[in-house]
Amino acid sequence: MSFRQIKLVLQREYMTKIRSKAFIIATILIPIGLIAFIAFAAGIAMWDSEPELKIGIADQTEQLYPRLANMDADRYLDVSELSEDSLRSMVIQEQLNGYIYLRDAHVNAEQNPELVYGGSGGFALLNSIRSDLRDAIREERLQRANVSQEVQDIYASKVSLDSRKLTKEGEEKEDNTGFLSGLGMFMGVFIFTALFGYGGLLTRSVIEEKTNRIVEVIASSVKPIELLIGKMAGIAALGLTQIAFWTLAFFGISAAAAPVAAMFMDTTAEELANTAETAEGFDPAALQLPSIEPMIFVWFIVFFLLGYLLYSTFFAAVGSAVDSETDTQQFMFPIMVPIMIAYFIMFRTIESPDSSLSVIGSLVPFTSPIVMITRIAITDVPIWQISLAIILIAVTFVGAMWLCAKIYKVGILSYGKSANYKELVKWIKQG
Amino acid sequence: MGVIEVSGINKSFGETQAVNNVSFEVTQGRIFGLLGPNGAGKTTAIRMINNILIPDSGTITINGQQASAATQNMIGYMPEERGLYKKMKVGEQLIYLAQLKGLSRSEAKDAIRFWLERFDALDWTGKKVGELSKGMSQKIQFIATIAHDPDIYIFDEPFSGLDPINSETLKEVVLELRDKGKTILFSTHRMEQVEQMCDEICLFNKGRAVLKGDLREIKQSFGKNTINLEFQGDASFLDKLDNVRINNRSTNFAEIRVLNGQNTQDILRTAMSHAEIYTFERIEPSLQEIFISTVGEDNINPKDLG
Repeated sequence: MSFRQIKLVLQREYMTKIRSKAFIIATILIPIGLIAFIAFAAGIAMWDSEPELKIGIADQTEQLYPRLANMDADRYLDVSELSEDSLRSMVIQEQLNGYIYLRDAHVNAEQNPELVYGGSGGFALLNSIRSDLRDAIREERLQRANVSQEVQDIYASKVSLDSRKLTKEGEEKEDNTGFLSGLGMFMGVFIFTALFGYGGLLTRSVIEEKTNRIVEVIASSVKPIELLIGKMAGIAALGLTQIAFWTLAFFGISAAAAPVAAMFMDTTAEELANTAETAEGFDPAALQLPSIEPMIFVWFIVFFLLGYLLYSTFFAAVGSAVDSETDTQQFMFPIMVPIMIAYFIMFRTIESPDSSLSVIGSLVPFTSPIVMITRIAITDVPIWQISLAIILIAVTFVGAMWLCAKIYKVGILSYGKSANYKELVKWIKQG
Repeated sequence: MGVIEVSGINKSFGETQAVNNVSFEVTQGRIFGLLGPNGAGKTTAIRMINNILIPDSGTITINGQQASAATQNMIGYMPEERGLYKKMKVGEQLIYLAQLKGLSRSEAKDAIRFWLERFDALDWTGKKVGELSKGMSQKIQFIATIAHDPDIYIFDEPFSGLDPINSETLKEVVLELRDKGKTILFSTHRMEQVEQMCDEICLFNKGRAVLKGDLREIKQSFGKNTINLEFQGDASFLDKLDNVRINNRSTNFAEIRVLNGQNTQDILRTAMSHAEIYTFERIEPSLQEIFISTVGEDNINPKDLG
């Protein structure tokens, strides 16, 4: 193998792509698109409101309704004067979403209250009515039991949970699990997207050489394996450049925007603190960026590169086996399946980073690039697991490279039609 | 000693044996034609000489060295399926391809400047290949093949897809290179195109080399038993002739190969009684005729011969 040839191929691959308009536009538009998407999603979440649901309360105790009305006067209507028949017809005609009869038996916990409703509202409605009723009945019972205000206050208090992390070195740290989960998900999603993005770029680049019919000219100067390695490395370098650019841009913009953001955050925190309800269990400090272990970024780059290398062999083989981009679909499916599986395991990992599914997913080479980086971000992964994952990906990569180089070698010189799976097997045996 | 020595090479793809025990030798300063119908194994043989494919058995030496990455740089190769990066600029692309052939960047720049000037194409340096006309990009392709000044030039089906002007340029340059002592090997299935150019030939059929040697000697050995006939009138008499094979037939022309000692004067008499004769000439057989009589009429698909 000649490093001179590999370097020449790498340089060409990198230089022609990095100067192309499509690449420059994508580099700028992707973060803008991402921000726009997040803003849009946040906007939707704010704009999306619970529908106004009307629940009739026929209160025979005359004590419970005022308490419920206190909680949500818009939702709970006093319908004590109406007969059950007219309530039923109101629900059927959708003037009312549902009604509940409340009796002393409910206060004494001899019976459960019963909601009769049209079925709309879902779990969210049932849960909130249940908790409202529970509170109202508890308050009423405390009142009737004639306990002191002190005890009533004890029942009214709500406890939230603060947490701190105790590291192996015995240091106590602020617990950033929420933030780190977000970071882990971001990194996992990034690698997930990058595998498809850069893999697809490589596939197209291989197909381009075939359809332009230049590949045989190249093959008369360069060994197919040199060409393959050069192209893979060129696109890896392209990916790293893009990541470096985005990272610098992120820190540059954050540095410039920090004073503005700080002002905004302060006012928000004050407002939030004023709203008693939300202030419960809410720590304004959580809005500040917690410090992140720099090693996370090192592992991120390591697993991005390993994942890319492993999958790029298959993306290159696909490119060499087909005659045009439209024929890639049949071969892309088996590549997509493990990436998608890794993506779904990642969400489980965010909830429970040390579950057996997460641990296995972070060690299996085809899922580990995505799952492992998410685990590393969220929890302390033992170094032996990280090392094992790296070794397993590396070994699998060598095997995949060996297999795919054989397909590539034959594929790039087969013109005219796309291969099928039977031919691929034949090529592997031939090589 | 041959510049290219091919001895006993075999290559199979699965069940099909593309090249079957082929040996030939190309001497320095000669134009060597690899002839035969499509699918005869020419391209496979050429790819093996270029070290793109590795023979299953047999040896290939280039300038006395076993075919390898090092011998690739001694060869300028223009494949049948040829092309360039459409989105890359002419100058950059040529420099890249020359560098892959072992030239340093500055050597590559000089060589490419020389050839672009020679072909009146210096203005195209900054243009993308996709913006060029077909004829222009054929010239660029040609420069890409020869820029690193190799000893050996291999052209696979060089005239297919080439416009007439570029065909002429190619012929001129090939003859010029030969006069400089370079060695040229090309393959074609259009035999009439290369008759004037080749010094030596090797005929391929179904993976085997069926006939090889000096073109003039081969022709002489076949004797002057072919008739060039030009006439005006009813051509149906040609079908009534016995013991002949008619090649290159058109409305008022026929190339007639005389078989089994059929008397040429009888043919002339028959022709005269049916049509007005402009030309009646005994000549050496064409390459196509030589090919047919070598492999036997039953062994070829006439459509494969262009």
